[in-house]
Amino acid sequence: MTEHPANGLDDVVHQRVRLGIMAIAHQARQVEFGFLRTTLQLTAGNLGQHLTVLEKAELIQIEKGYEGKRPRTWVTLTPAGQTALRAEIAHLKQLIQQVEQAETTGDR
Amino acid sequence: MQSYLHDESVPSADSPRELLTTVGELTRRVRVAQRGTWFPLLAFAVITLVAIPVERYAPQLGPCRPGPEEGTTVCVASVASTAVYWPIALMLAYAAIAAFYVRQSRQRGLGTPIRPYVVVGVVLAVLLAGASLWLAYHPLAPFSAAPSEFTPTMHAVSFLVSPLTVIGLALLVLAWVERHWALLAYTAVYLSIALVQGSQVIESSSRWFFLPYLLVPAAVLLLGSAAFALFRPAGEAQPR
Repeated sequence: MTEHPANGLDDVVHQRVRLGIMAIAHQARQVEFGFLRTTLQLTAGNLGQHLTVLEKAELIQIEKGYEGKRPRTWVTLTPAGQTALRAEIAHLKQLIQQVEQAETTGDR
Repeated sequence: MQSYLHDESVPSADSPRELLTTVGELTRRVRVAQRGTWFPLLAFAVITLVAIPVERYAPQLGPCRPGPEEGTTVCVASVASTAVYWPIALMLAYAAIAAFYVRQSRQRGLGTPIRPYVVVGVVLAVLLAGASLWLAYHPLAPFSAAPSEFTPTMHAVSFLVSPLTVIGLALLVLAWVERHWALLAYTAVYLSIALVQGSQVIESSSRWFFLPYLLVPAAVLLLGSAAFALFRPAGEAQPR
């Protein structure tokens, strides 16, 4: 019996905000804290908490520095983060496919 | 900027379909924010316009022979322009484009995907220099051949070994890098114009006979740059 795709979902990644952070970091390669906060419309504290969760899971890398006198925090997806994002998207697609198949079967 | 977290059109429940839609929407927004299409087009328009005095006044470095009329000379091509000016100008343009995207990346807080575009552009510029020099000393058609005797292969090679085609091919890569359908359509039009122009022969004794070959693409690039700057979607980098 094949495993249900829901069992493959990673609790760290399967969360709307964290999935959003990872999707942005994947496309941007490197993204600044301010862009994430503006795009996701989160408070600095809330975003910081989600980033800490992802960093502890080694899915992102956080670099802090200065540009002129302005402090900057850059977020990069780690290779493990790339893999986790790909896996999450694959599982989500499988889930949708299964639901659609079940609906088609149920309609008959 | 609209937030997907507070967007009322997006239900709050995290169903797989909604999560995937969110990922797709965020990816699209990042791509739009990374774009800066108007700048490469402006850079290429500038080097195309600067090519006009170069084409007119640069010394002919390639092989020439006395023409059919006394005191005239027939040359294969303006080697100084295609093998020297254009590769250098293209390299400078790519350096400016890379600097523009890096600066924009720092300002907006987003990485830039421009590296493959610049690498392909530089490689094409080097190939252009090599191919131009090779063709100058190994011409496809003899000196005595009339333009009407040129075969489709000769036209095709001339089209490919043209700085304007090199710009167009690099723009195709930019359209792919930026996932930009409007730029892809624009580049198709630009390359079509370059193809049609390349197949036209202007018979003139004027030393400015080449003007349409450069003015038309330069105008198309300038118009494209202005259009992409004016009609950019919200979220795309603003010209400064």
